[in-house]
Amino acid sequence: MIIQRISRIISNYEMIMPIFAGAVTLLFVVAIFSLPLPYYEEQLYPKTYDPTSPLNPYDRGGPPFVQIDIKEQYPENSPTAGYVTSYLTPLSWYMANTTLYLGTTIVGHPGGILDEILYNTRGLDTVVETTILFIAFAIASYLYRKG
Amino acid sequence: MGMVNPGGIPYFILEFGDELVYFSPYTVSLFILALVFTIFAVIARPERQVDIVFGGDAFYAKETSLAELKIRRFMAIACGFASMGAMVTGDLFNFTLFISLVGICNVGIVAAVKNRHVQNAAYQYGIVALSATVPLFGAAALIAATTGTLSMVELWSNAALAVPLVVKALLVLGVMGEGMAPFYAAKAEMFRAPGAPYVIMCSLSSLLIFLRVIEVVLVI
Repeated sequence: MIIQRISRIISNYEMIMPIFAGAVTLLFVVAIFSLPLPYYEEQLYPKTYDPTSPLNPYDRGGPPFVQIDIKEQYPENSPTAGYVTSYLTPLSWYMANTTLYLGTTIVGHPGGILDEILYNTRGLDTVVETTILFIAFAIASYLYRKG
Repeated sequence: MGMVNPGGIPYFILEFGDELVYFSPYTVSLFILALVFTIFAVIARPERQVDIVFGGDAFYAKETSLAELKIRRFMAIACGFASMGAMVTGDLFNFTLFISLVGICNVGIVAAVKNRHVQNAAYQYGIVALSATVPLFGAAALIAATTGTLSMVELWSNAALAVPLVVKALLVLGVMGEGMAPFYAAKAEMFRAPGAPYVIMCSLSSLLIFLRVIEVVLVI
């Protein structure tokens, strides 16, 4: 009887959102109560912030074409990591020299900064991320054209 | 090797920088299942639903137009590739990305259907998939913070790295939100869409990501 009732509620697709939202809320409450989760000190991709650098969040430091030490999980898989810490197009070079905030323009100016870790050691991530965007655009454009 | 992977010892490990793709007996069998079904989606033609008027000779044949067929086949193939990626990846953040790709492809498969009921169901499912990204990527971020790594190989070979139970629960809930389609729609709504091989891809991909997330949760 109870299974019948539950399945009747679940089969109504209008109810699926509230049920899922309830489950998420419940789990978030549990997560908040279990909160002081242990923090692992030796993080894989450490970040340092240098507010005086125009490439701020993406600045890995080091002169160009001299390999710097980048902390990776498997350094043997990407032996060339650390050579090109940032690649600036002429426009982004101009922006880096005139403002302090080039690092914030990465979205509006793709290719302006190559983040070493993102593109060299975690390249598959960026491929999948853009694929998600592409699929979303494909669905949206199809629905728009269908009218 | 501290612990044994319940999916078996990997046959070989493909290296994409820090992201290892590993082929263990478990992941390989799921991968082959996704591959075979993707090939089916490529070569199959959509079914034609026929409604017969009871007590008479009349019937309605539901045609799938070519434009609709194209977008749905494309989405089904993309969904197949996304499931294949999710089956074999050995990196947690990459896994969550593939899962959300599967979620959005599932919406895309039925989004082209010209049926109010199906579209409503797809919309509700899309909202669930959207909100499920919060626990999903939140879990990946918490795993990175609590263990300092995202590699599954690292997590199962190093016994000192323990992921808290609540974080695993967040991951499972996120995957549930992304791959929820068969759990409520198998009975009714999304599967009313005509065009069988493409719609079944929703169900199969959800089944596969569930089987994979079980392995992931046991491994990490």
